[in-house]
Amino acid sequence: MRAQALKGHLDGMLLAALEGGPRHGYAVMEALRAGSDGQFDLPTGTIYPALRRLERAGLVLTRWSEDGGRRRRLYELTPAGRRMLDDERNAWREFSTAVTALLGPQPRPVTS
Amino acid sequence: MTGLPGSAGLPGGAERVIGSYLTEVADGLIGPARARRDILAELGAGLADATDAYRSAGLAPGQAVRAAITEFGRPEQVADGFRAELTAAQARRTAVTLLRTGPLVGLLWASAALASRIGARLASPWHWASMPLGARPVTHLAGFALAIAIGSALVTVAATGRLTRWLPAGPGALPARPRWLPAWPAVSAALAASGTAAIDVALLALLATQAASTPGRLAALPVAAAAIASLTRLTLTTRAARNCLTTSAARLSARSG
Repeated sequence: MRAQALKGHLDGMLLAALEGGPRHGYAVMEALRAGSDGQFDLPTGTIYPALRRLERAGLVLTRWSEDGGRRRRLYELTPAGRRMLDDERNAWREFSTAVTALLGPQPRPVTS
Repeated sequence: MTGLPGSAGLPGGAERVIGSYLTEVADGLIGPARARRDILAELGAGLADATDAYRSAGLAPGQAVRAAITEFGRPEQVADGFRAELTAAQARRTAVTLLRTGPLVGLLWASAALASRIGARLASPWHWASMPLGARPVTHLAGFALAIAIGSALVTVAATGRLTRWLPAGPGALPARPRWLPAWPAVSAALAASGTAAIDVALLALLATQAASTPGRLAALPVAAAAIASLTRLTLTTRAARNCLTTSAARLSARSG
């Protein structure tokens, strides 16, 4: 998948990855990779600043958790984050419907 | 490297490789110490998780940690990704501190003026009857600086918080900014800090002229307290303004080194 096309929707995809419950950064990355059938291939290091930005925007909450001696930062959707995810989803639906209508079907040859 | 944050359960070799990778990332991270520490701890745990994942997939420990590092990206690229966040954190911290401490410093000066019976009868300082010649334009300048400082601090706080969600940002959302140009939260925070510094300079200058013309009139203790508060704040705000701008320009210095 083209990285540029992915980047514009990164926020929405991160929010979607957290929809099922709190996750730490690497689990978010794994969810994106599994959910996209391996098509998602941004460097993992770029996920963390994006999550931090969502936190600043009040869309996710974070807390530290300790598990097996590893301290991880857990991210969780806030109510505002859920609303934003719904908005992103609706916007994506409209956009993809329009693009599919234009690019999707093979046009029938025009007969004149 | 021992005691690497979040790397428990990894073989020593892998821990060392991750440690030196994180040291390289740390070189490119410029900003508040706490934010940097959090970022490195989080990356360390992420790298340890990634190494585990590659080992479960069948890679040898050495190969697994190298694969994890490749997956995360080059250290300078990873550090660069955090620059906007660190700039925002630094700018926000500066603006919040200025807004919190501003009223206290103002109160100290007001009580110093009252105790010295300056402006006791009239509310606003620009109506002070006994002002030395030349003090009027200085108070006007201070008033102007105060307006700029409060305005830019409020803008900084608003734009680095909740408002972020409505701002176009994130990777690739905006055209790349020229490298010499600092990010705008850094500029507005630096403006707030410089405005505050200007107020302190003006207040101290007014105090100096007052002390020169009518030294006996000043109430020593409240005046000293106000002067010390302003001198301290002046030192801190000039440093804060510089920090905000260097955090934003971190890429320049990190690359040229």
